[in-house]
Amino acid sequence: MISLIVNKKKYEVDVSPDTPLLWVIRENLGLTGTKYGCGMAQCGACTVHINGEAVRSCVAPVSRAAGQEVTTIEGLSPDLSHPLQRAWIAEDVPQCGYCQSGQIMAAAVLLREKPRPTDEDIDRAMAGNLCRCGTYPRIRKAIHRAARMMAKGGVK
Amino acid sequence: MSKNRMEAFSDMSRRQFLKTSATAAGGLLLGFHLPFISGPVRAGTSRVITFVPNAWLRIGSDETVTVIASQAEMGQGVYTGMTMIIADELGADWSRVKVENAPNAPAYRNPRINWQFTGNAERTRSFYLPLRKAGAAAREMLIAAAAKQWSVDPSTCRAYKGVILHSPTGRRMSFGAVVSEAAKLKPPDNPPLKDRKEFLLIGKPLPRLDTPSKTNGSAIFGIDVSVPGMVHAAIQQVPEFGATFAPFGRESAEHQPGVIGVVPLEGAVAVVAESYWLARRALDNLGLSVEPGPNKSLSTAQIVEAHRQAMGGERAVKVTQIGDAKALIAKATEKIEAVYESPFQAHATMEPMNCVAHVTADRCEVWAPTQGQELAQIVVASITKLTPEKIRINRTFLGGGFGRRLLADFVAQAVLISKAVGRPVKLIWSREEDMQHDFYRPTVLNRLAAAVNDKGFPMALQQRVVSASQLHHVAPQAVKDGLDPICLEGAAEIPYPLPNLFVDFTLMQIPVPTSVWRSTGYGPNVFALESFIDELARRARRDPYEYRKVLLAGNKRALRVLDLVADKSGWNHATDGNRFRGMAFAHCYGTFIGQVVEISVSSNREIKVHRVVVALDCGQAIHPDGIRAQMESGVTWGLTAGVKSEIILENGKVAQNNFHHFEVLRIPEMPRVETHIVESHEAPGGMGEVGAVPLIPALVNAVFAATGRRLRSLPLHRHGFSLV
Repeated sequence: MISLIVNKKKYEVDVSPDTPLLWVIRENLGLTGTKYGCGMAQCGACTVHINGEAVRSCVAPVSRAAGQEVTTIEGLSPDLSHPLQRAWIAEDVPQCGYCQSGQIMAAAVLLREKPRPTDEDIDRAMAGNLCRCGTYPRIRKAIHRAARMMAKGGVK
Repeated sequence: MSKNRMEAFSDMSRRQFLKTSATAAGGLLLGFHLPFISGPVRAGTSRVITFVPNAWLRIGSDETVTVIASQAEMGQGVYTGMTMIIADELGADWSRVKVENAPNAPAYRNPRINWQFTGNAERTRSFYLPLRKAGAAAREMLIAAAAKQWSVDPSTCRAYKGVILHSPTGRRMSFGAVVSEAAKLKPPDNPPLKDRKEFLLIGKPLPRLDTPSKTNGSAIFGIDVSVPGMVHAAIQQVPEFGATFAPFGRESAEHQPGVIGVVPLEGAVAVVAESYWLARRALDNLGLSVEPGPNKSLSTAQIVEAHRQAMGGERAVKVTQIGDAKALIAKATEKIEAVYESPFQAHATMEPMNCVAHVTADRCEVWAPTQGQELAQIVVASITKLTPEKIRINRTFLGGGFGRRLLADFVAQAVLISKAVGRPVKLIWSREEDMQHDFYRPTVLNRLAAAVNDKGFPMALQQRVVSASQLHHVAPQAVKDGLDPICLEGAAEIPYPLPNLFVDFTLMQIPVPTSVWRSTGYGPNVFALESFIDELARRARRDPYEYRKVLLAGNKRALRVLDLVADKSGWNHATDGNRFRGMAFAHCYGTFIGQVVEISVSSNREIKVHRVVVALDCGQAIHPDGIRAQMESGVTWGLTAGVKSEIILENGKVAQNNFHHFEVLRIPEMPRVETHIVESHEAPGGMGEVGAVPLIPALVNAVFAATGRRLRSLPLHRHGFSLV
């Protein structure tokens, strides 16, 4: 049995320790916001936080998360109130939406490390998150917008 | 995927397709004729009565208005766009409007094509009037009911934001208060439509309805569906086209913990287990090996060579003949000719193929991110022998479609696996399976030739298009007499009214599965034409903008778009020495679009795309912000296909299997996109595929301006170019 803390809730899962964290989150915990896109850390759709750091959960064995604080998109806020979510809605960022959980989770780490990122900072930090629909211009705008919100209202 | 499986699938859909009209007319699921009340349905603690005036709307006594979306939401914004149209005509309160996915039913067929599907930038073009009529009919019934209660003339009432108003007396009644009475009335046949001055929603910048759920992980895609008792399947299809798997032992897999069964299919093997990962690992451990088949040496180079031979051959079928282009070109003192090549492309939707199916003795229910509910239903019927009303195809959000999910191959697989194990099954394709078993946009060759007058303008144009079919799996009956209508888009008809035009087409048969792909036939054909026009302009020492203006003379809508893109891009103003521009124009999917791409190119052939300026006339714009989003989307699609990605076959297999081989645009490479929409009240044109079409030739023309190199084959990566 492996003990997990996901979005501040405790779980015990009966899976082999080398099972990718992604599939445990999706199937054992029923949290389907984190997505499968490539299985080899090329697309970023599976991005979660372990102890606040961005991790590609498709290549992270669940054993790596044992006893650590895991945050998924569902844990960012209970009510769409995270500045990134508010900015994403204000800019109507998503199109098909499949990559967006990973985009937002990657952006959250960027903003924690660089509260006022430049365009170059954004491009560099977000280069690992693919979007086949082309929401890139709006992702940039929304990250800037969220940064402004956080500067005014304090960081979550 | 074995040739057998592909043929079997194609045969199945062909047979069933021809039977459709007969079976469908005789009562599929929901054929509304009379309005009825459904319910009372308990909603929370209150009893909600629901008025269903037609297949598109449910209006509740609790004031909610539910729009049933016939079209699949795959990012192109149908959820919001279609809903705006019907809600505006109805006079609904936008804050009370919800959307649901339509089931498979004839009421939701595309009225232009009489088939339930999403694609080909059809949505607004085909559904605009039917949606308005549906909203108007419901509105008139609500008004009539209120007017009856008030004993007033209905023509003195109107519907406004969820309320019926009687202006002379100031009386008001909410929609919810009249639903019971409205349901007793007969829907009007020809309800009056709003004057466009009265639009409150259409044309306005409303936020998209699906955005919130796509920012908190709650939006359900096909891959997220879970049903009670569901098990999981992983699949491996034969990598070499036309080959088979060697015999293999199942026992070791079947004995692994959590594994429920091994299910051989035609051209594939699936493993079913309690979780996807257990299924996937057991599948990998089967150690499947390929018995090489007839295509074991097949390569893209061979395929393209066969196309080149066909290009020079005699079996082309005439498509267009105006005047006598061939003769004029043959006797021209200078014949200008060029051959352009577009490669195989993969859809590479971010959500790989998947489907949930539950087959029992007397029912089949499917949950899928599908663009093709009707084809899925037919395929399921053919496998299960169930009649249509016993088959339910539930549609979820799609993590990208781009044409791939029109097909039902993955649905067929899930159904067969569910049948084999007697449980509901979720089948997920790995990214490798998805990329190596796509139905690819085929490679296309275009040969263009022109005779020009003494001013350098073409008097005669001749084009031969050589390509495998795009449409044959989606609509087999439409591919006949050696012609595929999709492959001819942007070639059979061109926006330049030349006095002499000859176009012919050679349909190729190749053992690679092919289908429609976002930008369909226009993509490759407009790449060729707009590159060629640019070459002619350069040859005539004329500015490409001025050259096109002359060619488009008389076409007011086209000229307005061309002038707008030239103006907004600063075409007639010099750039700094390092920036170069290219232009392209297209009339595609009912929309006029011009683009200017502005780039710099380093000595290492690194292309920096600074900005793309777009001007378009799509007729009545429903959701302007949605249009801008589709332009950003199309630019992304075009840059990927124009510079970075292609599918190559080696030894009968697709060589690319994940995003490290098949590279798509990343955020640092994304330019600024500026979109300018001509205000128009003409019939709405399509948007979903339009943005990518002129992008590639505009880029290639810009690269010529920057480097003097004319590149006629894609992607530019082949020529040492990259994006930075």
